[in-house]
This record gives sequence, structure tokens and C-alpha cells, in this order.
Amino acid sequence: MNKNSNTYTFLYATVLVVVVATALSLIATGLKSRQQKNIEVEKKQNILLSVNKALGVDTVPDRSAYIEELYRRYIVEEYLVDADGNKKEGEAFTMNMKTQYDIIREINASGISDEKKSELRRKLSLPVFVCRNDDGALKYIMPVYGLGLWGAIWGYISLDNDFNTIYGAIFDHKGETPGLGAEIAFPKFFNQFEGKQLFENGQFVSIRIVKGGATTGDRHGVNAISGGTITSRGVEEMLKNCLTEYKPFFEQQKTNAKIHDVAIE
Amino acid sequence: MENIISIFIKSIFVDNMIFAFFLGMCSYIAVSKNVKTAMGLGMAVIFVQVVTLPVNYLLNTYLLTPGSLAWISPELAGMDLSFLSFIIFIAVIASIVQILEMVIEKVAPALYNQLGIFLPLIAVNCAIMGGSLFMQEREYAGLGEATAFALGSGAGWCLAIVGIAAIREKLSYSNVPVPLRGVGITFILTGLMGIAFMSFMGIKL
Amino acid sequence: MDTEKTGNNTGLFWKLFTAPIGKNNPITVLILGVCSALAVTVQLESALVMGLAVTIVTGFSSLIVSSLRTTISPRIRIIVQLVVVATLVIIVDQVLRAYAYQASKQLSIFVGLIITNCIIMGRIEAFALANKPWLSLIDGIGNGLGYGMILVIVAFFRELFGSGTLLGYQIIPESWYIANGGFYENNGLMILPPAALIVVGLIIWVQRSFYKI
Repeated sequence: MNKNSNTYTFLYATVLVVVVATALSLIATGLKSRQQKNIEVEKKQNILLSVNKALGVDTVPDRSAYIEELYRRYIVEEYLVDADGNKKEGEAFTMNMKTQYDIIREINASGISDEKKSELRRKLSLPVFVCRNDDGALKYIMPVYGLGLWGAIWGYISLDNDFNTIYGAIFDHKGETPGLGAEIAFPKFFNQFEGKQLFENGQFVSIRIVKGGATTGDRHGVNAISGGTITSRGVEEMLKNCLTEYKPFFEQQKTNAKIHDVAIE
Repeated sequence: MENIISIFIKSIFVDNMIFAFFLGMCSYIAVSKNVKTAMGLGMAVIFVQVVTLPVNYLLNTYLLTPGSLAWISPELAGMDLSFLSFIIFIAVIASIVQILEMVIEKVAPALYNQLGIFLPLIAVNCAIMGGSLFMQEREYAGLGEATAFALGSGAGWCLAIVGIAAIREKLSYSNVPVPLRGVGITFILTGLMGIAFMSFMGIKL
Repeated sequence: MDTEKTGNNTGLFWKLFTAPIGKNNPITVLILGVCSALAVTVQLESALVMGLAVTIVTGFSSLIVSSLRTTISPRIRIIVQLVVVATLVIIVDQVLRAYAYQASKQLSIFVGLIITNCIIMGRIEAFALANKPWLSLIDGIGNGLGYGMILVIVAFFRELFGSGTLLGYQIIPESWYIANGGFYENNGLMILPPAALIVVGLIIWVQRSFYKI
């Protein structure tokens, strides 16, 4: 057959496309469950790391079994809350924080009327994960999401049941500069958050990321990453914007806890 | 609007395709011996980037992202075609470059004389493919942002290649160690230019 | 190259395999495929994975295109080659996501950019279209390894001097650091993008002086 004829070219292209499409869809479907499992395990791992569990993950031979087992043992509850802090219908684990971030970003955009803000807030569904430590103490884990220098950054913050003191934190990112912004994903940075406080005399102050280093004894500040100014600023914004929306939930839980304490007394 | 301007400026100076990501280095090194040709290639890259990136953006939003097929029928919402991204992006780029070449030749022969020889080179220019992949990874919101990124990243690439071409023109009068001549010194110079460009990192928009 | 006649010669195989690793190196001598090479060289591990991925794609794309070479219509040659390469890259990407998730996260978009890596199209055009499949496979793998080698060398220096580690293990003793009362500090410049270009420039200098090109 003449290689230059239109029919040949057309047939050749068709056969090629069919072969390639079949091969690719077979491979993609075959590997899909494994890929999703990887993503799920990583999410669980980050949630566990934010409450200082699963620290030995790099030394175990079967990462996914190890993470699943710990997740079952420690994470006792997961639910969604609305902007007033009340529980809401829905699946917390599969909630994509990006969608919540898009709403939060709109709320914080300049020139938004209060009316519009509360309308946007009604759309929020914020995930909360509850961890019970071996000694029975409850820790509350909140996901956060924001923008760094090159793209998305996200993480998990866990609080003691006073809803003020940070118990642990972990951050991850899509593609911050290795060695600079990317340092937010290393213990040296996120371990600083432990013991810091979100409230000062009942006022929400969030956590400051201080360039040049926070003063010792600063309960609301941690050291920024040198050379990673924009990423550090991104983390600060992310914490402030996301945790502000959780504030009603914190306050409500605090009140509940007080009532609970009084009842016990 | 602020967002669009910020993406545009950032993609020229901060996320520069050459200095921050080394994309499109092959043609950058090969075609930077004089300013005039460098300018021609730079313009062609801007042009192709601005045409292909929005097309890929639309394909990505309405075809490739998981759940994006819901607009055809709700039953398709569970489909995930994202594994086809690479092949679709490169096919779009290759065919648009081909079509552009034919159209420009017919409509504007003068422009074709300037850009024509560069167009085939661009089909396999990493800066173009990289632009589409970055668009997908960074999840730009809306055609406006995607186009701003296309224009900015193309302009950034053009700026880089014209800059190095100007330096290389001057450099032909310098006494560079023989094994370093040509490519070697170009790499080192690009590195130094990259360091200079890093000072833009601090700009807040 | 007159390879069709002497296809069984092991010496030729060996030459095809080693030339691109040394004096015909695709990156430093032919200046191909630099684009995606440099962004993944901050850590040795990602450089190794990237080198391996590129070797697999160059090898197999050369093999496949060479086997198809008598059937491809010249009019759609480029697009057929692109489809073959893109398919292989998607397969590599999917496998990485399933079995080496951490590595695939680090490489992010640079796996996709293997498609536009000039080495692959370059070897197909220059070699695979005119030679037998086995020779093309060897040529492809040799070029992939030559590319991977430069990546590994660059990454070795950048990780060692930039982070004081190799493959994630601390190499520079902790006690040397100024923070621990020593005299040493990591060179932050090595981690930044421009350092990659400067290191490659220096490698080219060394290699060209050595081979007297």
C-alpha cells in the first residue's frame, strides 16, 4: 500500500490512536486504586503526624498498613462544622480543603460587604478530626490551606482541649523552593508550633511567623524560614484565615467544656 | 483584576521560565547568538504560548480534571481522564503550531519570514509544554488568569533570551578560556543572570 | 552511520552504549535535554529517579519507533513519534504515582516534561529512524544513561554542599556546623536554581578540556 496515500495515513493514525488509548486506559484503571490509596495514606499520615503520632513512619516496611492501624487506633471521630461551630452533615475525610479555601479567600477579599460575607460563610463545611491519646486526652485537628510562593501549601494543626494551646502541627506544599520555602515541611520548622497559643486574653491572635526570629517566651510567634520569606508569610496568612473561620467552633467547645466541668464539680 | 496583574508580573520576573525553571533551555542556548534572531524566537514563543495555553486550559477544565465531564451528562461526573493530560497537551501544541505555520504563511508572509523558521522548533520547546503543565498544577482560576500567565511566561522567556543574546554578542570580543567558549560560558552567565533575577523575589503584589 | 552492515558486532554495541556517556554526552556536548535536567537536581534521589525514567523512555521510544520505521508515513512522522513518547511518559508517570509516590511528588511536572526532552526526539530522528530496533534500543539507553549521569553529578554537588546530605543521609558531621560550635555552614546558593546552571557550566568546562573538543 502506498505510504503517502490519504487512506493509509488516516488508517494508520486511527489504529495508532486506538492502540494507545486502550493501552493507556487499561494501565490507568489498573493502577488507579493503588494511586488513590497512596494519596489517602499520605493524608492520614499527615493527620497523625500533627498529633505527634506515626513518627517512625520512615522506618517501617509496610507504610500503609502501619498508618491505617494507627489511624484506626487514635482518630476516634471526624466531622464537619459550619461557620457557627455547629456540626454539619457530610464526610469530613474526603472534604477537599481547596474548596473551603476558595470560599475563605472570597470572604477575605477587599470590598466585600458584611452581608455577602455571612452569606459566603453559610457555605463553609470545615473538617475536624478528633484524636484520643493513650492517656485518654482529646486533641482536635484542623486542616489549613493557603498559598505559598509557587503554589498551594497546606497542613494540619492540632489543639489541646482548651482550644488555645497548639499540640502539634505539620505542613506540606506542592512545589516551594527546596532548601528555602520547602523547609516548612520539616520538623525544624513545624515543631516550633508546639505549645504556642492562639488566643491572648480571649482575643484570637493566631500565630505570627517572625522574620529574624521570635523573641524567647513569645507565646504567639515562631521563627520564619531564612530565605523563605514569601512562604513564611503564606503560612502565617493561611493560619490566620483558616483558623479564624474555626473560631466560633473553638468558643462553643470552650463553653461546653466549662459547663461540663461545672457539672462534674 | 489584581490577581491577574500579579500573576502576569510574577510569571515574568519571579517565576521566570528560564531562570527559575530552566524550561526551553535547548533553543535558548542554540538560538541566542545574536539579538535579532533571539527576538524573533522570543516573539514566536509568546505568540504560541498565548494561543496554546488558554486552549489547554479549556480542555483541562472541561475534559481532563476529575469530575469535569459533568457538563455533558451527570453520569460522567465520576470519570477521571487526567491521565490523558500529557498526550492531549502535546497534541494540542503540535497541531496548533502546525496550523499557525500554515495560517501565517497564507495571511502574513512578512511575519512568516520572521517567525516561520522558528515555529517547528517551538513544538518541542519545554517552555510551552511546561506552561500548560504549570497551568494544570497551579489550578489557575478562570481563563483570564490562564491567559495572563501565558503572556507573562512567554514574555519572561523572551526577556531572558534577548538578554543573553545581547551579552553573547558582546562576549565575542572577550577572551574566554577555550573549552568554556560557547555553551559553557552561556550556562554560567545564565546562572549569574538568574541570581540577579532572584532579587525580584521580594516584590509583593 | 554505517551500522546496518555491521549490526552483529559487539564492539559496535559497546561503542554505541558508551559514547553518549562520555565524549558524546547529550547534555554537555550536544546540549540536548537541558530543560528538565536541572530543576530536579537539588536532591540526589530525585535525580536518580529522573535519570532512570528518562533512560526507560529514550530506550523504549527508540525501540518502538525503529520497529515501526518502515510503516510510518512521512507526513505524520513527527506526530506519531510524539504519540509514542507521550504514551511511554504517561505510563512512567502512572507507575511512579502508584509505586513511588514520594518520588513522583518531588518530580511533579518534570515527569511530563520528559515528552519535550530534546534527547528523546533527537535520538529518534537521528538514529532510530535509520537503524535496526536493537541498535536503537542500545543507543537510546546509552543516551538516557549519559543524561542521567550528568544529573547525578550535578545533584551530588548540590545536595552535598547545599544541604550537607546525600540521599537524605547527613554526610557533613553535625559538629562542624556553626550552630553546633563548629566552623561550617551549608552553602545556600547551591540549592537555588542558578547554581545548577553554574555547576553544569563547570562540568562542560572540565569535560571539554578533558576530551579536547
